[in-house]
Amino acid sequence: MQKNNFADRFINTIEWLAAIFVGVVALNIFVNVLLRKLFSTSIPDNYDFGRMLLGILIFWGIAATSYRGGHITVDLIWSSVGKQGKRWIDVFATVVLLFVVTVQTAMLFDKVRLTYVDHVLTYDMGIPTWPFYAVAWIGDVCAVILIAIRTWRLVFKPEALHDEHFEQKAME
Amino acid sequence: QDKPVALKLSSWVPAQHALNPALQAWADDIKKQSNGTITSTLFPSEQLGKAFDHYDMARDGIADFSYVNPGYQPGRFPIFAATSLPFMISNAKAGSAAVDAWYRQYAPKEMKDVHFCFAFVHDPGALHSTKKVVMPADLKGMKVRPATSTIGQMVTTLGGTNVQSSAPEARDMLERGVAQAITFPWGSLNLFGIDKVVKYHMDEPLYVTPFVWVMNKDKYESMSAAQKKVIDSHCTSEWAEKVGSAWADFEIAGRAKIAAEPGHDVYKLTPAQLQAWRAAVEPVEVQWADGVKKAGGDPKQALDSLKATLAKYKSAL
Amino acid sequence: MAQTDLIALIGFLSLFALMLLRVPVGMAMGLVGITGYSMIAGVGPALKLVGLTSMRTVTDYTFGVIPMFMLMGALVSVSGVSRELFKAANSMIGHLRGGLGVATVLACGGFAAICGSSVATAATFSGVAYPEMRRFGYPQSFSTGVIAAGGTLGAMLPPSTVLAVYAILTQQDIGKLFMAGVIPGLFAMLLYVITIGIIVRVKPDWLPRGEAKPWSERLADLRHVWAPILLFIFVIGGLYGGFFTPTEAGGVGASGAFILGVLRGKLDRAKIKEALLSATRTAAAVFTVLIGALMFGYFLTITQTPQKLTEFLTSLGVGPYGVLALIMIMYIVLGCLMDAMAMIILTVPIIFPVVTHLGFDPIWFGVIIVMTVELGLIHPPVGMNVFVIKSVIPDVTFTTIFRGVLPFVATDIFRLVILIAFPIIALWLPGKMG
Ligand code: NA
Ligand code: NA
Repeated sequence: MQKNNFADRFINTIEWLAAIFVGVVALNIFVNVLLRKLFSTSIPDNYDFGRMLLGILIFWGIAATSYRGGHITVDLIWSSVGKQGKRWIDVFATVVLLFVVTVQTAMLFDKVRLTYVDHVLTYDMGIPTWPFYAVAWIGDVCAVILIAIRTWRLVFKPEALHDEHFEQKAME
Repeated sequence: QDKPVALKLSSWVPAQHALNPALQAWADDIKKQSNGTITSTLFPSEQLGKAFDHYDMARDGIADFSYVNPGYQPGRFPIFAATSLPFMISNAKAGSAAVDAWYRQYAPKEMKDVHFCFAFVHDPGALHSTKKVVMPADLKGMKVRPATSTIGQMVTTLGGTNVQSSAPEARDMLERGVAQAITFPWGSLNLFGIDKVVKYHMDEPLYVTPFVWVMNKDKYESMSAAQKKVIDSHCTSEWAEKVGSAWADFEIAGRAKIAAEPGHDVYKLTPAQLQAWRAAVEPVEVQWADGVKKAGGDPKQALDSLKATLAKYKSAL
Repeated sequence: MAQTDLIALIGFLSLFALMLLRVPVGMAMGLVGITGYSMIAGVGPALKLVGLTSMRTVTDYTFGVIPMFMLMGALVSVSGVSRELFKAANSMIGHLRGGLGVATVLACGGFAAICGSSVATAATFSGVAYPEMRRFGYPQSFSTGVIAAGGTLGAMLPPSTVLAVYAILTQQDIGKLFMAGVIPGLFAMLLYVITIGIIVRVKPDWLPRGEAKPWSERLADLRHVWAPILLFIFVIGGLYGGFFTPTEAGGVGASGAFILGVLRGKLDRAKIKEALLSATRTAAAVFTVLIGALMFGYFLTITQTPQKLTEFLTSLGVGPYGVLALIMIMYIVLGCLMDAMAMIILTVPIIFPVVTHLGFDPIWFGVIIVMTVELGLIHPPVGMNVFVIKSVIPDVTFTTIFRGVLPFVATDIFRLVILIAFPIIALWLPGKMG
């Protein structure tokens, strides 16, 4: 285990937050089903809360997944080339990833801004929805930062990377 | 000679829905009137984007025309929401023309991101339940699947509980007792098999779901004067009524079908009972008015105008 | 060739190039989809589509079914249920010739009934069943082969994340698709057991007897399987009976797995953390592909590729079953490139209109397509389940695993033919749902 620097602590925190949101989504569903079956009632706005929490967990999860190299990839060529070839493919793929996620993050900011401007509310209680979208968006911002760190490490200090799915998914 | 324009029309209802042929007929007439310079492709079933996003899709140019349920985004179009208040509109045909004529004064401000074409409504939906509901107090303690967020507020106001579900899930919900009542248009009741699980039908036009058909602004501006004129002549209250009618006919036929089925209790309310309902749902109107006020509108002017227009078109309840 | 056709063709070629250069599948689809879309509809709308599609997909309540069933599977995995299932099956029949292999198939099936992923099932049993089979002298090839095949049950028997995604993409009922997988899944187990029986006949000393246990011990081992059975009946029964929506079934199942795990003392903080993290990571990976596929799908819609493909395939004059065969061959080839989820998400929006146009039942086709895709995970030259097994058992070679898996691949092809000939096998149970 290497020494935890800022980037590592950052990524661990993000992963933890995403993981907690998964639990909260399950809890929201469970409690709501119980309330409905036993007391014929429901948490107001549980539907809207459930789907917006889902959005938060996914974007935060994508941040962690992008950093760990845990995305679904096609490894046919990658697994058949040497160490140097692997590294160049990884650099290319990560740069493309950085580009795509940066564009996505910019456009999501636009979406959050418009949700604020358009005054979209939840169904039952009429709570503004934009803060939830904003929290989800922050996850995507984290993704950009983490992919940038990953790109930098891939190019300059590959030994600092610790991909978790990597070794499992494609051998040789 | 006008340069050819190809339009992408987006409707999120399934391909076999009665609305699509009506929209297609509308597009075909535009093609004819424009001497073939304006052609359209209709994309049904959310092929270009999700139902909830259709207003934004027209705004952003993802579709050139799109079919929007403004009620999907509570709070965004407060004045338009007046049309979804309970016990307001009695029929879809003249009602569509009335809603369209009324909303034209507000659309340029409230839907300023798009070029407003027309507004229309579906045939009024009723309350269908597993036990008979006659007075507003009967709804107390009942679990109801509401059609719109406004009807949801009505249910809460009367002491009931809302159960949300998609239309296809609704039958299961009623069969298992998760919900005991549903607000739904008549023909669709058959379509989703819900008539198999609810026996009591309060035969009063409880609510309508209002829709708009809107266009991308840049697309409109890019057209020649002659082409704009063709579009303008297809964005009228008459066309609102025409497009709304095909769907309305389907829903109206559903009412007769259910009334003819054995074991169904389709009942009218007496004027006194209806008056009791109107009084009981008043807080919903107050809530709506607050929303309009907060957005800087004049709720009294809007509602008076709506009622006057509905009366003019003989579609007020 | 019209200009849009050319753009669509270039789109497909760039997509494959990017994927082969290991750009994540979802990101490659998104990039190509949006670029192609902007060439046809303009840059402004294309960029707006990015924000709209990304946010709408991740906040779509029906998609919640994916992380929820993943969480349930992860919680069950870390609570050691796979070990209990295998132990119970093993003490009942392990003493027979080939019994350990049959026990592996049964335990995989039991585990598959609560876990939605084929790769996860294969990975789990590489750790649980492989050492035991080796201890009694089973050959490496058979031991890994039976785990690779047994793993595919994870996607066949409900719950199944791949079937759920297929249902969402094609707007079919998730509950009905889950039910459609039950009998074909059980049929697969039966055929695997028969295959093992034939191997025992042909090579009697290949699969020796395991340990014989007294009945008292057998019953004691069997007792532990109540928890997974209870969970299965609760979740799938609730879904079948209409007590929950699919998303709710997932959420309630995950909560149930959590409660059972804690009550039985099988879950501590570290294990809960592991399960939550694993569900988050896999869900994020799948949603990335979903978002990308939707963007790619909108691009294909405005190029009208699915319609043109339908016209082309029907004009070949090979008949509906000929087209079906072509589609299945395409899937088996794609199976060399990518994993099941990515394949389903990439191809279903294009293939589904063709299949419905030909008059095939959408629920039945879901089962057929998942079976074909799962076959791709175990057949040579590459397959995801095989990779996973190799990662857990590093000292085995790919050739050895593929040699072991071949008899089961033959069984799977036989099963596919039967299911195509008799769609009722898949459709009977969902038809009972009303
Ligand atoms: Na499964
Ligand atoms: Na393969």
